[in-house]
Amino acid sequence: MSGLARRLASRLLAAASRLFPRSLRPWARAMERELDEIKGDGAALLFAAGCLRALLGLAIAQALGSVRAPAQSPLPSPEPSSRSFSTMSHIATHPRTLALLCGAGAVAMGLAYLAAAGAPSRYLIVNLAALVLGASLWLALGRAAGGRLRQSGLMVAGLASALVLTAFFGLAVDGAARWVSVGPLNVQVSLVVLPVMLMLYARQPNAIGTAGMAAAAFALAIQPDRAMAGVLAAGLLALLLAKPGRLKLAAAGASIAAFGWTLLTPDALPAVPWVDRILYTAFDVHPVAGLAVVTGAAALALPGLTAARCAPDSRPALLAFGGFWLAVVIAAALGNYPTPLVGYGGSAILGYLLSGALLPAGALAAAARNGSSAQSVADQGADQTGSELRVPHPA
Amino acid sequence: MTRKRALSKHALALLAALLEARQRWSHGYELASLTTIQSGTLYPLLIRLEAQGYLEAEWQQPVAGGRPPRHAYRLTAAGQRLAQAQTLDQAVPAAGWRGREAASP
Repeated sequence: MSGLARRLASRLLAAASRLFPRSLRPWARAMERELDEIKGDGAALLFAAGCLRALLGLAIAQALGSVRAPAQSPLPSPEPSSRSFSTMSHIATHPRTLALLCGAGAVAMGLAYLAAAGAPSRYLIVNLAALVLGASLWLALGRAAGGRLRQSGLMVAGLASALVLTAFFGLAVDGAARWVSVGPLNVQVSLVVLPVMLMLYARQPNAIGTAGMAAAAFALAIQPDRAMAGVLAAGLLALLLAKPGRLKLAAAGASIAAFGWTLLTPDALPAVPWVDRILYTAFDVHPVAGLAVVTGAAALALPGLTAARCAPDSRPALLAFGGFWLAVVIAAALGNYPTPLVGYGGSAILGYLLSGALLPAGALAAAARNGSSAQSVADQGADQTGSELRVPHPA
Repeated sequence: MTRKRALSKHALALLAALLEARQRWSHGYELASLTTIQSGTLYPLLIRLEAQGYLEAEWQQPVAGGRPPRHAYRLTAAGQRLAQAQTLDQAVPAAGWRGREAASP
């Protein structure tokens, strides 16, 4: 356990040094290097856990607002300087980044829970590998997400066909066909492709995309998957409410019909340890483990909350994202459905990060629009020049 | 307008430890041990101090070969002034650091 714990601590900090915002990476590396100097494995693990907590807190603090940060600073400024308070400033101006942070944070909290609950080490490795893969795809997709995806309707239709194929030819357990085997792993296809479909559809809700969403709803009805059918309905309703439209109304109607159908069909899969019901059972392990699971799960909807501060064009996608992942968490709380990111399972991790990559990449509108403070503008300028938290890199 | 607040006991302990080190570079785990501040509290403080110009930070090659560089910290002149102003008048509440600092070379 001890060697594994130290290796895990080191890997987590190494991953953090790559995944966290550029401004925090040198500090993450600095923390990782200190691990070598700590003699006891337990002390090293505690040190790493504190560092991860600090990094996550700093990243979220940056994400949640440049306006509040100056007032929270515990130190007086040595001289008037825009650099002074840039440390805690923004990133929340980028919902994609916030999604990455929330996803990574939730996975980190889930790993802590899984380790405390005595889950097989393979489970931890799978989740960690999914995080690394998802973050890599997030980076790769980010470039495409910046521009307009012209073929998003066709992509939605293509992904819907994957769901339909899973319903007919996928791996079935107790009458529910939701999975495909990828090597030794069973991937729940809907958790990977549905959030991506929703984000693509939010960008371009055209006729082909609507047909794709209806096909997805049909696939979920025949798999059957009550939770994901409900989740799809929640996401599409959020999209519809954010910006009404006839095609979106049709897609939402199809998803509600599918959800209604699943309510009439039996759905009695037993709870799987470390996957289902952990929003409750984690508290049996330790109150802190329970708190980590609940906090990590709640953080998943956080990028959706930035909709209020975003440009109107970005709101539908953000609300759909928040509504979708909030519904996944609610489903996990109500029934024997996977608890996303904090529980064992790489499908939700991939789905979350991929859909997060397709969120609007642009800056929040509010700060620029109302010029909430000269400081916040100065902070943004400082960030763009890369001066915040600037630390020389090791040779 | 700058809003002044009383420094936390952890910030005071950290400033005192760094002030005592003077021009000598300190490392993160060393500071955590000296001040008994947990890493989750220590690094945000270091980051703020560095960003506000009170702290210098640099990567240093260790004396022993084959080891990776470490991040080291010391107060700037402004940091020393701040630390002196803050710590001369106030007792340092974080237990332990002073005794251990005295024992170190």
